[in-house]
Amino acid sequence: MMQRVMDWFARPVVRFVHLRLGLSPDRLTWLAFGASAAAAAAIAFRQVGAGLALMAAGQVLDGLDGGVAREFGLASERGHRLDTLLDRASETLIFLGFAAARLVPLTLALATIIAVLLLTTVCDRSGFDPGMKRVALYFGRWVPYPALFTLIFGVNLAAYVIGLLVIDCRFQLRMDALGGDLDTVASRAAAGEPSAISHQPSAIGWLGARGAARGPGTPEPSRPRGKLTADG
Amino acid sequence: MTMVAHILATTLGVQALGLHGRDAALAYAFGVGVDVDHAIKAPFYLRAIGLRDRKGYYWRSSLQEPVALLWIAPLCLFLGTVVPLLFFTIHLAMDYSVSFEKMPLYPYSRWVTRGWLTGIPDRTKERALLAFLVAANLLLWWSRR
Repeated sequence: MMQRVMDWFARPVVRFVHLRLGLSPDRLTWLAFGASAAAAAAIAFRQVGAGLALMAAGQVLDGLDGGVAREFGLASERGHRLDTLLDRASETLIFLGFAAARLVPLTLALATIIAVLLLTTVCDRSGFDPGMKRVALYFGRWVPYPALFTLIFGVNLAAYVIGLLVIDCRFQLRMDALGGDLDTVASRAAAGEPSAISHQPSAIGWLGARGAARGPGTPEPSRPRGKLTADG
Repeated sequence: MTMVAHILATTLGVQALGLHGRDAALAYAFGVGVDVDHAIKAPFYLRAIGLRDRKGYYWRSSLQEPVALLWIAPLCLFLGTVVPLLFFTIHLAMDYSVSFEKMPLYPYSRWVTRGWLTGIPDRTKERALLAFLVAANLLLWWSRR
């Protein structure tokens, strides 16, 4: 619902960048990454204001790629993967930029990068991502950057652990549905699972609702944030 | 492995390493506290089995599997201590000596294992370990009085 409202507001811009400027979703994704890389360089040279402005430009472009993909029916799994990959690469560069500028310790920046990457490995499957990544850095004017990095680290690591538990609970429902000899239920459920990195369909409970709605073997749905983009 | 065995092993480690304050709290959190996932699984047990006592239920989650090292390692980097990693590894080593099914790398892999020393009966291993842990704790406590 929220996505539809945002798409409605962004529609004129989305149509302009695609129809007038001829930008495809993938090009927008790459442009967003370029802006983020420039932001990281500016921050590394302690031009934090300019860096945050470039980062904002990157995030706007990043938001437009999904809008163009949805508006013109160009969404694809490959585009979604490219978008996710470049998003994480952007965050990695920006976080390292803060470390290079000595605004945060390198270990804190590395720990934060790892936490964000870990969450990315499970968020599609768990459906849980609080979205607390680059956006917190805009508050650096009022909150010290080490505190902001600590917040990003904590939120993403906690979300990763919660995501793992959500996936575990779905698997537990699968095992409970199998029943029989409990001593072998894990191996039987694992053997029957379509893929270790896909959703487990489950007929019962809110935990299985996403999987059950699609049924076994159907592809992963697009994320609510609408990050699917198209091939070139 | 029983909760008592985990408490004894963690206490032994805390005593042996002379941990206090934050480090001791971390040791108990990662040596014993990770068993909190059994509480998460309790509603599932009640739903599937009810109030009956049925052995072999899959009480484990990724909170106490090797896959958890993926988030415990960066946490150690953040905290600047290896205490969580050390005590979690001890917890894992104890759990993997009991022969129920485990999924070490779930959700990244569907590999199921029963751990190590599966040829020795679980009860024998548990009793031997408990006896050792009680004796070692008492010896250490006495030696430091």
